[in-house]
Amino acid sequence: METFIDYLTEKIESGKAEIAGLEADGRKDDADFARVRTNIYEVCRTVTGALTSRPGAGNGAVKAQFERFKAIWGGALEKAREHGDARNIVVEETKLQALEDVIAHFQEAAE
Amino acid sequence: MTQENALKIFKSLSDMSRLRIVQSLTGGEMYTELLAERLGLTPSTVSFHMKKLEDASLVVSRKEQYYTVYSLNRDMLAASLFDVASSEPEQTDDQQKREKEYRQKVIDTFFEYGKLKAIPVQRKKKLICYEVIAERFVPGKVYSEKELNAVISPIHEDYCTIRRDMISEGILTRKGSEYVRVK
Repeated sequence: METFIDYLTEKIESGKAEIAGLEADGRKDDADFARVRTNIYEVCRTVTGALTSRPGAGNGAVKAQFERFKAIWGGALEKAREHGDARNIVVEETKLQALEDVIAHFQEAAE
Repeated sequence: MTQENALKIFKSLSDMSRLRIVQSLTGGEMYTELLAERLGLTPSTVSFHMKKLEDASLVVSRKEQYYTVYSLNRDMLAASLFDVASSEPEQTDDQQKREKEYRQKVIDTFFEYGKLKAIPVQRKKKLICYEVIAERFVPGKVYSEKELNAVISPIHEDYCTIRRDMISEGILTRKGSEYVRVK
């Protein structure tokens, strides 16, 4: 699990560098979306840290929490698409893409 | 052109991704996926930027089978910076403008995709929300309680409270089991 946490930390650091680069390039909205992505890696790192250190909880609890996120954000994306909400479509898609990446790496680390 | 439109133009162009999109469109019309590929963005991010450019009337779109094709609104882009910068403010006084902004802020806070997230506690905010709901009713038309509930319940589950409040606030009148929007 240590490798997984390291991976998330790496993604957070590279995300911060990407945000700074986009802002310096005058791409504020794209920087905001990169901030959303980075925030997902931060949330997942916090969740993983908290749940794996809790007695009785473990990888199963982490996976279940990630699946809950997926269901909630999937619902939000559907809603945004239904209403043609361009900003929230990008936000929810960005969150889900980051989460898919997190889940793939988590499964790899858990095996 | 009003100052509000001018501000939209400046805001939409003060972003490098959107400037690059405009620059790409100078070569001719393009569809979302092609622009996304060229600019290294996701199609939904391009759509988001296009919406901002469309809102500022800088680009126009048309549907072509499965694709949305975008092109520059050359008339708008031909306007000189002097014309845009010398635009007049809208004919509303400051007080009206503040009230309009406050109203919009309340609506944005309490409504999401046409649903009321929570009934505001503050009366002023509550009234704004109820006025928005009242827009779903035709003034003067008589509604049965069932019809009234059918309109309010998809907006918020506590349709009884809303119905009662709208009557006590004088937005709706009740005669027996018939309801009419009065304002």
